[in-house]
Amino acid sequence: MRILIADDEIMSQRLLQKTMERAGYEVTAVGNGRLAADELCKSEGPKLALVDWVMPELDGPGVCREVRKRKEHSYVYMILLTSKEKKEDVVAGLESGADDYLTKPFDPEELKARVRTGMRILDLEDRLIEAREGMRFQATHDALTSIWNRGVIIELLGRELARSRREGKCTAILLGDLDHFKSVNDTYGHLAGDEVLKETARRLLSSVRSYDFVGRYGGEEFLVVLNNCDPAYGWTRAEDIRKIIALRPAQTSGGLVPITMSLGLLLSQEWGYRSAEELLQEADAALYAAKGAARNCVKVATPKIQQGAGDIPVPELERRRR
Amino acid sequence: MPRSLIDFAELLSRVENDRELMRDLLSVFKEEFPRRRQALREAVESLDAKRVALEAHALKGMLANLAAREAAEAAARLEQLGRDGKSAEFRESLATLDNIAEELLPQLDACMAEVSG
Repeated sequence: MRILIADDEIMSQRLLQKTMERAGYEVTAVGNGRLAADELCKSEGPKLALVDWVMPELDGPGVCREVRKRKEHSYVYMILLTSKEKKEDVVAGLESGADDYLTKPFDPEELKARVRTGMRILDLEDRLIEAREGMRFQATHDALTSIWNRGVIIELLGRELARSRREGKCTAILLGDLDHFKSVNDTYGHLAGDEVLKETARRLLSSVRSYDFVGRYGGEEFLVVLNNCDPAYGWTRAEDIRKIIALRPAQTSGGLVPITMSLGLLLSQEWGYRSAEELLQEADAALYAAKGAARNCVKVATPKIQQGAGDIPVPELERRRR
Repeated sequence: MPRSLIDFAELLSRVENDRELMRDLLSVFKEEFPRRRQALREAVESLDAKRVALEAHALKGMLANLAAREAAEAAARLEQLGRDGKSAEFRESLATLDNIAEELLPQLDACMAEVSG
């Protein structure tokens, strides 16, 4: 654990440094407040600091104020060192953002105990952050397969569609559904069914680029969003995914389970301005068509208006305009 | 036998019995002290209250680190006079500090000899 010592008085600095090093800390020592604030605000800077009150450039309370203002993401535990011990001074020091204060000349045992207190607080903060990150992961990922959950993948799709429209690019939507999944559960058991879903997620992830999105859309339905993807690539990728899923059976505790997937493909650039929900409905219709066409195949969603536009007789159009 | 101006036991506990560190601190002090004292004297001569407070504060810290309590207190008084802007009392207070310092320096040398020996 690295700590920062800021003291312009060389004897104090040396004494502090030696005491802390003996206690097993790695020490960075600076001689003024400006350097202290800059060091503490670095992203990988020390997380605990012993800061002298009276210093050139920037005093101790000034360092505390600046660190509290500039550093938002992780906490720095700051102990002010002071030879002032009037009540109002202590209050002013703590109000500047210091966590604790110690009166100089300090007793080494007391100093070490105060630093240990700081370490406990920092450790607690680490654990809270870890718990928060864990919860964030749980809130955004599917518990079984660890890919994006339904809510998040739809949101990501919406964002990606907006971006591709802005940039005049195409986003490919792939909605895939495992064929005859119900009979997998019935034949091999639910545990094997879960393992098939996990294996499917793994295969999907391994067959897209790092910046594409893969999510669980429903029970055995998966949604793949290919970002910034030209139509030819979308086609090839869809067919590749189908092949990779079907290539070999999934290994499960219930034995080898042959799997295939039906897919609906939609290329956003052919659809003009549509919401994610509308496009998903269209992709779902294409998936339905793939299911109807003996499964284990890819069907493309094609806009009906364009297709049928030529079929509408001109007088009919004239009438509609009126 | 002159009175002892350095609490040797306290100093030892402050450095956690690290005699090398003690030697180190003493030699830093010997080097820094005359310079700091000179700066304080100049501040007093020019009646620059802010400067007096600052320099006296630095000296106080150094002396306190050496467990030279009486000298540190004398420096603290001068620091307070500086803060309060009581420039009329600077000289007298500095003289007190100087007197203690004259007594203190040989004791520091003795101290140094003891930890080096």
